[in-house]
Amino acid sequence: MKLRLALLSLTALSALTFAAQAEELKIGLASAQTGTLAFGDQPSLAGLQMAVDEINSAGGFGGKYKAVLDVKDTRSDTAATVQAAQELVASGINILITPCDADPSIAAGQISQPAKIVTFTFCGTTPTITSAVGDFMFGTYPADNAQATVLADYAQEKGYKSAYILKSPDSAYTLKLPEYFQQVFTKKGGTIAGEGTYSMGQQDFAAEVTKIKSLSPQPDVVMTSAYEPDFPAFIKQLRAAGVTAPVLGSDGIDTPTVAGLGDVVDGVVHSSAGLPSAGTPLDAFAKKFTEKTGKPFDTVYIANGYEIGLIIDAAVKAAGSLDPQGLRDAVANLKDVEGVTGKITYAGTDRMPSRDIALVEMKGGGRSLVKTVTPNPADVPAP
Amino acid sequence: MEFFIQQLVNAISLGGIYALLALGLAVVFSIVGLINFAHGELMTVAGYGLFFAIGVSLGLPLAIVLAIFGAVAMALVIERVAFRPMRRADVTGLLLTSFAVSVILRVLFQNGISARGMPVPMPSALAGSIDLGFAHIGVIPLLSIAATTVSLAALLLFLKHTVVGTAMRAAAQDFAVVRLMGIPANRVVAVAFAVSGVLAGVAAFLWVAQRGSVDPLMGFVPVLKAFIASIIGGLGGLAGAVAGGFVLGTLEVAFQAFLPASILPYRDAFVLGIVILILVLRPEGLIPAQTGKRS
Repeated sequence: MKLRLALLSLTALSALTFAAQAEELKIGLASAQTGTLAFGDQPSLAGLQMAVDEINSAGGFGGKYKAVLDVKDTRSDTAATVQAAQELVASGINILITPCDADPSIAAGQISQPAKIVTFTFCGTTPTITSAVGDFMFGTYPADNAQATVLADYAQEKGYKSAYILKSPDSAYTLKLPEYFQQVFTKKGGTIAGEGTYSMGQQDFAAEVTKIKSLSPQPDVVMTSAYEPDFPAFIKQLRAAGVTAPVLGSDGIDTPTVAGLGDVVDGVVHSSAGLPSAGTPLDAFAKKFTEKTGKPFDTVYIANGYEIGLIIDAAVKAAGSLDPQGLRDAVANLKDVEGVTGKITYAGTDRMPSRDIALVEMKGGGRSLVKTVTPNPADVPAP
Repeated sequence: MEFFIQQLVNAISLGGIYALLALGLAVVFSIVGLINFAHGELMTVAGYGLFFAIGVSLGLPLAIVLAIFGAVAMALVIERVAFRPMRRADVTGLLLTSFAVSVILRVLFQNGISARGMPVPMPSALAGSIDLGFAHIGVIPLLSIAATTVSLAALLLFLKHTVVGTAMRAAAQDFAVVRLMGIPANRVVAVAFAVSGVLAGVAAFLWVAQRGSVDPLMGFVPVLKAFIASIIGGLGGLAGAVAGGFVLGTLEVAFQAFLPASILPYRDAFVLGIVILILVLRPEGLIPAQTGKRS
């Protein structure tokens, strides 16, 4: 009798586990937890993990699916990203997340697109990521062309007439974002005082900086989308050479490394997905994050990762199932998802979401919000 | 004119850093025949030394001493742990060992410290420029020229006027004879690694002062440049390494300064093109190393 009961309960238990497994939402991450992209991928994962924990304990994604994360480190290597994506797709994931850069994201998307798996890039911002892969690929972070538009509008407002553009052909982000800026800036009457190029990881900007220094007249503003370690090297050498022109940057410098440079970055204005200023939802989120993890909220990539959790939750809710096509359509039709940085909309976009962009000024090792804007779609250059 | 002088200073300053790095490679290569690709990681160690020392506000001079000390300690450790057991291995074996050491150290930095970069705030006194009347010259380029000069002079004195230094110079030409003279091989090799650690530490300070941050992969680009510089100069020769460093630095700055914007993205191709040209004309490098061995 006892044995029977035991057997029966065992069967019941295994049936339960089976049911639970069938109801799982499997999120696979081919993510750069080490290497050059870790600056974006590490905090993004911390945010996503927090969203998954919260949504799971509140009943699951869409109210019924508990999510599990399967994280594979790509070491910021594109070939390793493809391999990780292949393993994850073979293991039967429902959603794939790829690193904070266009190249590995597009490469991984080539694997997940034919398998019809909804794929998000953690914080890749190149607007062509989605069209290069196909209809299952989504961005989350504000796209390069949108950021560039906001920066160019800001330059106009400040009365900057001439700009010096610094770009690097080594990645889409470092090349195209300044070019989008140039397009919008010149279209609205600005002129380009000069343009320079650098090799990523080079760190020696002395020759380039001397060229900027010798420009006469000096440019009203210097614009670049360089990020670390290049941006810290550039700004230090630029200021050391005595160039005082204001500098505009993009979201890649929204990191503690750049803020920690001290007064050399004072006055640098950059675009970002958001900034926790007192009383905003993002501020509340930042406090909650620190409370839960014990770690400082030192970059908005954390919030972006968290919002990917919210986007998936909203999509699963709308789709009502984990059917791949249904899930894809649900994401593509999302409208006004309440994120922590603002509302996120995919409907009517080419899968790079329309959302608020914050302009942020660095000062005294911290950051302050200049303003939050949604760029006018008519001004945003085509990708 | 001012533009030209500033670029000249840039070239000497960058060339100086490359010279220090190439010299670090050459000192070790001349004695054990090893191209130490973990040399870049010695710089990273020094970089983290700076980061931690400045983080606990030790003051810059002490931080620099600590950073150099860290690089020397790491150089001695990798010599003892990885390279001494491989002493009799051939060039390929040594090369692979140095790659392995380099990768292991990088992984240790990533997992033990952080995969993300850390800011190294330098005193604002280093951020300015000095007006020399005819040109504005940045403090950091001047500092790197000074540090390079002092390091080169110190190394020269060390090699010419100490017993170990003399033994090292002799070992570079014929290690077997040096050992027959009763000089302990282990000591000569360890001193060579320690010297390369000092050079890596000084170069790391100058490099970090320019870039303002330290990360686990920081050593890769500099060691690559040092490798190119020591090849141009003539692998294994100390004078050659210095010459190679300055040639490479000057080429990089000159092309960055004077190439028109439309072909500027191909700068590195131009620099490496000249490097190949130099090697075609002088296959042994600019100043070939003197050795008793036949190549």
